[in-house]
Amino acid sequence: MGHRVGVISSADRDDKGSWPGSAHEARRFIQDRLPGSAPVEGLSAEADRYGRADEPATLVEPSVTETDKFRAITVSAPDEPRGESGFTGFLDGTQKITIVNQREGVPIVWATVSAAVRVRANRRMVSWPNRGPSVRGRFYVPFRYLGAVSEELKSDPRFVDTTKEVAGEDVPSRHPAALMEAAVKRVNFDREDVERDLAEAWCQTESTGLYVDGSITTSRISSRSELAVGVIKSHRRLYADGDAFRVLVNLRAGERSSIFAVAPRNRHPVASWYVRVRDAVGHDALFGLLRVEALDSPNMSERADKISLWVMAESSPLALPDPRWDKMAYGIRDTEEFLRAIS
Amino acid sequence: MSEALGRVVATERKPNTPHEFHFWTSLDCPVGIGTIVRVDGARPVAGKIPHIYGIVVEGFSYTDLQSPMYDVLSHDGIPSKAGFAVTERAEIRLYTAAVLRQIPEEPLQPVPMGEVFLAGEEDVATALRMDGYLKDGANTGIPVGVYRAGATDSVIYLDADFLLGPEAAHLNISGMSGLATKTSAVEWLLSSLFAHFPASKGSVAAVCFNVKGPDLCFLDQPGKLEDRDREMYEKMGVTPGPFENVTYFAPYTAKGFGLNTLRSNEELLYNVKPLTWGLREVLQYAEVLLNKDDIDAKADALIDFITERVVDRKFDQDPYLSKDHTVQSFGDLENWFRDLLRGLERANAESWRTHHIATIRKVRNRLSNISTRCAGLVTDTGDVSDLPFGSFEDRAVYVVDVATLEEDAQDLIFARIVSKLREHLERRDLGVKHLVVFVDELNKYAPNDGQDTYVRKMLLDIAERGRYLGLVLFSAQQFRSQVHRRVVGNSGTALYGRMDGDELATPGYSVLSPATRTKLATLEKGQLMVRHPHFTQPIFVRFPRPAVMQGRDGAEKFPQATDVTLEHALYRSLRGVDDKISMAWVKDLVSLYDEDELIAARNATLVAKPAHVRAFFESRLKKKIPAQPVFNGGLAPREIITARTLPDDDPYGL
Repeated sequence: MGHRVGVISSADRDDKGSWPGSAHEARRFIQDRLPGSAPVEGLSAEADRYGRADEPATLVEPSVTETDKFRAITVSAPDEPRGESGFTGFLDGTQKITIVNQREGVPIVWATVSAAVRVRANRRMVSWPNRGPSVRGRFYVPFRYLGAVSEELKSDPRFVDTTKEVAGEDVPSRHPAALMEAAVKRVNFDREDVERDLAEAWCQTESTGLYVDGSITTSRISSRSELAVGVIKSHRRLYADGDAFRVLVNLRAGERSSIFAVAPRNRHPVASWYVRVRDAVGHDALFGLLRVEALDSPNMSERADKISLWVMAESSPLALPDPRWDKMAYGIRDTEEFLRAIS
Repeated sequence: MSEALGRVVATERKPNTPHEFHFWTSLDCPVGIGTIVRVDGARPVAGKIPHIYGIVVEGFSYTDLQSPMYDVLSHDGIPSKAGFAVTERAEIRLYTAAVLRQIPEEPLQPVPMGEVFLAGEEDVATALRMDGYLKDGANTGIPVGVYRAGATDSVIYLDADFLLGPEAAHLNISGMSGLATKTSAVEWLLSSLFAHFPASKGSVAAVCFNVKGPDLCFLDQPGKLEDRDREMYEKMGVTPGPFENVTYFAPYTAKGFGLNTLRSNEELLYNVKPLTWGLREVLQYAEVLLNKDDIDAKADALIDFITERVVDRKFDQDPYLSKDHTVQSFGDLENWFRDLLRGLERANAESWRTHHIATIRKVRNRLSNISTRCAGLVTDTGDVSDLPFGSFEDRAVYVVDVATLEEDAQDLIFARIVSKLREHLERRDLGVKHLVVFVDELNKYAPNDGQDTYVRKMLLDIAERGRYLGLVLFSAQQFRSQVHRRVVGNSGTALYGRMDGDELATPGYSVLSPATRTKLATLEKGQLMVRHPHFTQPIFVRFPRPAVMQGRDGAEKFPQATDVTLEHALYRSLRGVDDKISMAWVKDLVSLYDEDELIAARNATLVAKPAHVRAFFESRLKKKIPAQPVFNGGLAPREIITARTLPDDDPYGL
């Protein structure tokens, strides 16, 4: 299958030899094309904070669709062996963000986003034969503050203008952290883009379940397919305000919450519920807690039970040494390792 | 072109070098320790795509687990739960290969990244540099076994120029006892050598010392083979069958009736010959039997004097001797000593021709003792029955059975035969141009420690200089580390069967990777590791079981003859040279003559192989007055009066 503009793979990198394949090459690339820019080899002590574009931690009242109120539902006894799983594909994406140059204090970011689907065949993980991984390298540049820049760079689709005006969003200030946050936000969009692309391809060509690391609400096709199941590990936004919070933090391993509707702004609605895959005794309240997203369907309770069992089955073997091992499926860790190896 | 089975990998921590590289394969790949692989470089060097041949010497397998504890946690500490995991961990098969050859050979560079292929037959020949001696015009390959990996089935050849000389020579085999390695490998290799040794290189024969059990006693009898053995014989171009030309040599038993060998079954005696030596043969190698305490400089001088001036010549006009002596046997020597010492005592003399009387007594004591210590081998009479030095035949095997002899006799036989072989090869009159000498239990004859012995010195000499003469040592032992370093070090070719763990822990094996050592410790029957000058790394091969009857089978099929009577012993051995000999004739002689006299006559007859055996045999016996039967009142005689032997100094000349 062909790739979209800017998406490169190891196979065609030679043909586009002038386009950077690493941060080092990106640094030299900018130096050649932006006179006066200086390479950035190391980051300051607070530079790691630049990349934080997390949404604020919030509690949201769940819109329960399954039961009269938000409650715990047992899907598996704690000592019951892990069952079979209906997932055969695992989708994940990664991003690598590096400040490669600066010109008069304005950071120029080089980022690589990548996504891949790994499939399970005979209990072993291999690449999805129908569609290879996507790897895309781009510069994220605040043209507004950069001064004189050639039109060639400005018109190059592989240069993303992070200060371009977007409806409903403020243009970031000249503060390096603000510029960096804007860059990270664009990189996130790009990563979601390649992930969505693969998820949709799966839903259109395959017939078995796809474990998507993250939300499926970004895609109309994925959110309307029974195949794609989004599994969210981070809980900046908790759908458990009020009494629901107590129910949520007290979920035991093998239990799920009632199903509730999730319909984020500018995204696509899905059914969602929480499931705890590991006992949280001795850990924090969110240990082993996952939020699952799936197409809302008439037999949702039954599907939620089944999918919860699948998600629990995927918690073995452990994804250690990843620090998120309590929530991470081994298939997702494998996909991350794969992407780390190729991007 | 076959499909790639792996890819070369290198990291900063584990880089590739010109002599070693790493590659990974799929989990079900038919690669293991000892597999030969080919790497095709991705980029040309000096205009040529490099091809690197390597042999797998180490293997690694691991998963993405960083701690075993993670696996325990994964399955709640219950191993059986592991079976329920929907996914198996990512796993790698990573191998390290030692470079066998790089083409082009210059510039010698670290192994590049590239695809890895299983080596085919041509690759194996190239990798092991066999192409140099298998090409038309050279053709000096001697099959040693078959290398197998995946679908590859390649014959591995040794270079005859490096096995029998002159470039390098000698072969040494190590392996645990009882696993059909050492003796079987030598039997197979001799078959292969006889089948493939190029005629242009001249003739070749083998002398094998059978030092234990019936191992080599049935080389002329067919053995049991399986189909897979026959396939290997066919692939290696060797006709499966016993050796066609085998002669056995064994001394007599101490009593002298029969031969002291496990091949004493009457059906097999047709090619078993006695091995007996007289005084002259033994005196040349007295050093073998006499230790340093026995032979000081003074004793040595007297022995030299006796050898040069007394033996085989008339010794007369000595004032201390009562008569002239002609010493030709141990018996004659004893008479000479007795006469000399009596003369010295009578004259109250303390020395004779500068030799002190105490030295004379000591030498007499030690020499006289030899015929007792080596009874059956050394004859008092001086009769000699020996290997056919000077008329050795091409592709013949001469087996000297010393398995049941005392250590002294074994040493004497070994020393004298090898010395004679060397002498004849130096003079180019042995009968063959190349001779293989097979010695088992080398750690006994050429130990790494202990005092220097004549046999060890001789083995060192063969190992270091034998190849120039065409005298090649095939040696075997259980523990290579216990054999003198210069003997094994000079063996151009070394074979290893299954090895003992303790032996593998000795420094001599430190050049092998841990995995190769592990493989050596677990080799199956019929598998060998081969080191050869052309091979830069050891190679694992399989060889067929020899097509000769194994010692144990032979001992069951042809049981050893029980103790025979003198009559039967004479009858059997004389029938070997004259099938008209009758038992009645033998019985008559036995009733008339002493045992020693009959045995001496038998030995002389077997050596002389006269046209008229009976006449010759009788001529060796002293004449007798026939006994007259005494009848008592017409009844059958109750007692037969045995004729007495006439004294030696019979004045009437009867």
